[in-house]
Amino acid sequence: MKRRTFVLSGAALGGALLVGWGAMPPRDRVGRRGPLTSTDNEVRLNGWIRIAADGRVLLAMNRSEMGQGVHTALPMLVAEQLDIGLDRIQLEQAGPEALYGNVAMFLGALPFHPDDREPGHETRGVRAGRWFVAKLARELGINVTGGSSSIADAWEVLPLAAATARAELLGAAALQWRLPVDELRIVNGVIEHESGVRGHFGEFARQAAALTVSARNIHVKPREAWQVIGRQPLRTDVPAKVNGTAVFGMDVKPEGLLYAVVRHCPMLGGSAARVDVDATLRRPGVERVVRLGRTAGATSGVAVVARSTWHALQAARSMDVVWRAPPHDPSVGLLDTQRIDASLEQAAREAQDNAGGVPFHRRGDVDAAEAAAARRHEAVYHAPYLAHATMEPMNCTAQVRDGRVTVWAPTQAPTFAREVAARVAGVDVDAVDLHITLLGGGFGRRLDVDYVAQAVRIAMETGGRPVQLVWPREEDFTHDFYRPAGVAVMRAALDARGRPQALRMTVAGDAITPRWIARNRPAWATRFDAPDKTAAEGFFDLPYAVPHQRIAQQATRSGVPIGYWRAVGHSHHAFFTECFIDELAHEAGQDPVAFRLSLLDQHPRFATVLKLAADKAQWGRPLAPGRARGVALHESFGSIVAEVMEVSLDNGRPRVHRVVCAIDCGTVVHPGIVAQQMEGGVIFGLSAALYGRVDIRNGEVVQKNFHQAPMLSLAETPVIETHIVPSTLPPGGVGEPATPPAAPALVNALFALTGERVRRLPLLPPPA
Amino acid sequence: MQLQINGQTRDVPDDATDPSMPLLWVLRDVLQLTGTKFGCGIAACGACTVRVDGQAVRSCVTPLSSVQGRSIQTIEGLAGDKEPHPLQAAWVAHQVPQCGYCQSGMLMAAAALLDTTPEPTDAQIDAAITNLCRCGTYPRVRAAIKTAAAQLRPTRPPRGPLRVKTA
Repeated sequence: MKRRTFVLSGAALGGALLVGWGAMPPRDRVGRRGPLTSTDNEVRLNGWIRIAADGRVLLAMNRSEMGQGVHTALPMLVAEQLDIGLDRIQLEQAGPEALYGNVAMFLGALPFHPDDREPGHETRGVRAGRWFVAKLARELGINVTGGSSSIADAWEVLPLAAATARAELLGAAALQWRLPVDELRIVNGVIEHESGVRGHFGEFARQAAALTVSARNIHVKPREAWQVIGRQPLRTDVPAKVNGTAVFGMDVKPEGLLYAVVRHCPMLGGSAARVDVDATLRRPGVERVVRLGRTAGATSGVAVVARSTWHALQAARSMDVVWRAPPHDPSVGLLDTQRIDASLEQAAREAQDNAGGVPFHRRGDVDAAEAAAARRHEAVYHAPYLAHATMEPMNCTAQVRDGRVTVWAPTQAPTFAREVAARVAGVDVDAVDLHITLLGGGFGRRLDVDYVAQAVRIAMETGGRPVQLVWPREEDFTHDFYRPAGVAVMRAALDARGRPQALRMTVAGDAITPRWIARNRPAWATRFDAPDKTAAEGFFDLPYAVPHQRIAQQATRSGVPIGYWRAVGHSHHAFFTECFIDELAHEAGQDPVAFRLSLLDQHPRFATVLKLAADKAQWGRPLAPGRARGVALHESFGSIVAEVMEVSLDNGRPRVHRVVCAIDCGTVVHPGIVAQQMEGGVIFGLSAALYGRVDIRNGEVVQKNFHQAPMLSLAETPVIETHIVPSTLPPGGVGEPATPPAAPALVNALFALTGERVRRLPLLPPPA
Repeated sequence: MQLQINGQTRDVPDDATDPSMPLLWVLRDVLQLTGTKFGCGIAACGACTVRVDGQAVRSCVTPLSSVQGRSIQTIEGLAGDKEPHPLQAAWVAHQVPQCGYCQSGMLMAAAALLDTTPEPTDAQIDAAITNLCRCGTYPRVRAAIKTAAAQLRPTRPPRGPLRVKTA
């Protein structure tokens, strides 16, 4: 066969398979009953819901609780359909099956422009893309908690699973009592009939599991009848978090536990040339020294195993190690963030000047519009690398015994945690038992599983005893997967009245997703990186009506380990775009709110959010002398957020007094949790805007602990209020969308106060 | 060695510790009192805050030798026999925690504050609560401390269930 014929027939076969796959119905997400009873006393009604003998509902929880309230909000969806109290719903960690994979997060990775996906008016391309990716994601079944996607992902499947269970339970009761099913009702988990018969779910679960209820008899409760969604029940995780009984990763204490502490090569990507193992073994309490490789993206290092974390910390700190620098070009030198920043600016400028990079958004004729313009306005913005700094340092507990691996991990990525554990231990993935604890913060850091790989590796050396690996804070700061640095070159062509006619914008930075896939699913690593939406999100997808646009992303390879950080690309792109829009308002001589509104005719949701924040902040009303307001508006993760900040200068330091947030996140499940996430997202964003930086010199991260990397303190925290736009659209995310507008709102307020435009973060110098 | 923790005498085996071992690791790894958290190891974040003779201390830099014979209180001992400490009740009423990891330390710092300063001003709260929280629970921490202070004020009617609007 000629090569050409072979390739063509291969393509035809591939196409036929694809068409055939496409014609198959999407993978069911409610899940089968499986074994009729999971234990003697519990009955499985579907993949999500089991009924205990005492009538409690056991819900398969497929998302990690890291503060975002998912252990409360997801059960609310079930409580609504089953008319049972939250206190009667018990959470069980979902298994590794594809059923529990995340679909919504993959939908969020599609690079669609707001003009093409206005709710209810999506283009055919948007609909087709979503259909395809949803189907693919269902097949892949990758379970991760991220992308502010938990509610959106559960929004259809959990109510359907619960409504199905409800129909089956009612059907069983009707049969048992010989009563018409539509005369039965459920009151707080008890099925009742006006004749006086009543019984809890546990009394009907077995019969329910034997019933087949036709789809037309399954009724998901309509919005008008909601009694749980939209209310504010107390979070179920709070009592344990105020009395010390909540179990985070480091609180797991299996019998016979040993403790391990890691020291990585200080130079990112380097390794240990020589370790004085004998001297370390002679230190008090030390049991083992284990060298660690580069699995899952980690820098190589050495772990000390001891009888307490303290003994391991002491020995690791004093351990004599000769480090070896990573392979590098001597003419360039080791990693250096100043050099990277300059090279990013160069890459952005070159791509901007030569129509290079990947154009994520193109419309109209930018060249012609620039030629016809009365004038242009250009600006260059810079954002630094950032660390996650979760309050709970990286840790993982593992036990390798009898061919099985048990892992206790605070992880956002259970699929990859199991896979890496199996890879390291050389066992089948089915031989890995993963227990997910509460997460002491995630923010995207725990989408990586480097610390899981290390814990398993160490546990292979402890003779079957479990071992708890803890990273000292210094290792956490210096061996993160950092929010990538970025530089944006932005140019607007303005007409005689100062109205923007064209936008030519290019952002340069490393793309996270290809690196993340390569270290977590090595089998999927490709030689050439596909364009990564996260490297352009919040930059190319502006809602503003500017007729001519070319917005591109220039992917770079800086060599710094990078990862997903709360709000990912939006976290710095909103700073670039919302400050630049503010500059354009100034150029046009217009009020920043009025200017934005004049460009939002096509996007009423954005306009509504902006107006709400402006109204509640009394935008335009005079402030006390020495104070000014700034505004930013940004969409991310399916939600639109506007923030108005009121600032002053205190001895030259910015001081934020009040933040008014407005959000349209579609249907709200729990408004109290939305408010919490707005507060937390704003504070996270303010920490970064004021202080956030990771400097690398000679391949080594400079900031090693909180004294060198300040975070916003209680004393610096402004008053924050949240206003929610009522909506009947499907829910968007809330964990991340409050973070992106924080920096631009602050910087725009400082411009209003001082007339000086800051185009580089952070605002404050590093501590002396 | 013996320690006074949460009103009880606890035996600490000498072979498991040494006098320079920080109290944090004695609590967590030897006594399995895991409510006290490790955050930074340099007294910068406050996740490890406990009370020693009523005062808030950062247990990650407090050597075991310095707390012998003194009264140690951890988050596990904050509640009374029958009901939660007013701060814990206020924490629930205001729905303060998110991830929750820093909250033990926050509560212990707040408890020490209210003991010496029953009606703290904003400035006094700012000065006393220097604990870090990456989730950004600070506004609710402030509000909950004020609610608890009001509950503890002797002139007020006896404590009932707290009702606070959180959003």
